Amino acid sequence: MFKNKKNLYLDSLIYCSMKKTSLKGICEEITFSDFFKNHAQALRNYLYYKFGNEEQADDVTQEAFIKLWQNCADVPPEKAKSFLYTVANNASLNHIAHQKVVLEYAKKSTKKGTDNQSPEFVMEEEQFKTKLQNAIANLSEAQRTAFLLHRIEGKKYKEIAEMLGISVKAVEKRIHTALVELRKEIENMR
Amino acid sequence: MKEEDIKLAKWLDGKMEGAELEEFKKSPEYHTYQKIKDYSAELTAPQADIDTIYKNVAKSRNQNKGVRKLTPWFAKIAAVLIIALGVTFFFYTTHTTNQIAMAGEHTEFLLPDNSTVMLNSGSQAEYKTWNWDDNRKVELNGEAFFKVAKGKKFDVVTPNGIVTVVGTQFNVKNRNNRFEVTCYEGKVKVSSNGTEVLLRPGQTIAYEGNENVAVEFETDTTPGWLTYEAEFHKETFDNVIAEIERQYNIEIETNKGNYSTFSGVLPMDNLDEALDIFTTAYQLKTKKTGNKIILTPMNESKH
Repeated sequence: MFKNKKNLYLDSLIYCSMKKTSLKGICEEITFSDFFKNHAQALRNYLYYKFGNEEQADDVTQEAFIKLWQNCADVPPEKAKSFLYTVANNASLNHIAHQKVVLEYAKKSTKKGTDNQSPEFVMEEEQFKTKLQNAIANLSEAQRTAFLLHRIEGKKYKEIAEMLGISVKAVEKRIHTALVELRKEIENMR
Repeated sequence: MKEEDIKLAKWLDGKMEGAELEEFKKSPEYHTYQKIKDYSAELTAPQADIDTIYKNVAKSRNQNKGVRKLTPWFAKIAAVLIIALGVTFFFYTTHTTNQIAMAGEHTEFLLPDNSTVMLNSGSQAEYKTWNWDDNRKVELNGEAFFKVAKGKKFDVVTPNGIVTVVGTQFNVKNRNNRFEVTCYEGKVKVSSNGTEVLLRPGQTIAYEGNENVAVEFETDTTPGWLTYEAEFHKETFDNVIAEIERQYNIEIETNKGNYSTFSGVLPMDNLDEALDIFTTAYQLKTKKTGNKIILTPMNESKH
């Protein structure tokens, strides 16, 4: 049942991802390795947000690219990306997220200058950051994946919709509820 | 109401504008949302070992290369060839060679290992060429003289018993209930009627039905029939008649009677002489009509 649903979305997915046709045959070594370099990290991060487990994310990433290679003759380059995510999503059905996502803040930190801030302010901000980390870890898989793809990967809602195999409206809804949940969690922790 | 569901998503994406944005900024939650927006952008995912993943993918890719070459059409051709081979092999392995000597003629043939078989009139031999060296077996119906090449076990299978030998010369006779084996060289093992008998050169074992028939020591080196001299050892009257019929390819009519057994030699290349010897022994009279011969008792015709 799940797979059928995914396949229904696949058509629209394929349609959406027809824009890039610069790639030649995926079966060609160079094309394949280029494609891998362009998409592996993003796919792996996406799967990490989904599972909260690096090993699983690595495994499914690997699995998806191997499947892509095995079917390279049947998958036109412009459909390779959607093929990749469809395979990854289907493979994910067999993996259940059971660990909390652990995310770190980038070293460079805030854009605001740190010079003239009081120690209290800095401490408060650090507390907030920790709360945010915890709140994200407590989000549902669907909310967390959509939210982090937007915030960390900087993906557009449309792109996220393609990756997840859902509509843009559904993505927006997930983002909205994710924000509401996060705020409530953080305020409750006060 | 629907728009309300995705309001924050629009704001997060920078799509909220004008009065709506101003109003949102005034709400008490705004401050927290803004901080969530700012700090969440600073988060990073743990660094993946992309190179290792690529190596693993490349490894499986190279493994698959060889497999992919087996395209469907090739597989189909291979399947057809395998089936054809299988059928050929089946027929080859189960194929039997049949040798027949018609009435009135002798047939000589070689087995795959150059063992010689001479078939007496009205006899049939069957064997499989495949795997001959490991399975030397001839099915015999009638009489034959074997000169067996040295090698593994050699079996002659008849309805009345099995003769097993290892490099030797011997004669097997299997007519009706008569089963007679004479060894001329080497050793012969005869399994019949549930007993096994080992024959040395010159020895003969003969059965008429279940009864053992005593046969004198054979001094010749080949059976008489090879030189057209049929030897009979206490053979029944009917069997002798049948042998004459076979050798000369004729029909013989006789009266039913209680005749004693026949021992002696009959020429098989001279019908008149053979009939002369035979009729003298049994006091019979000969009458020829075409290809048919009628034997009647001498006394009866006198009446």
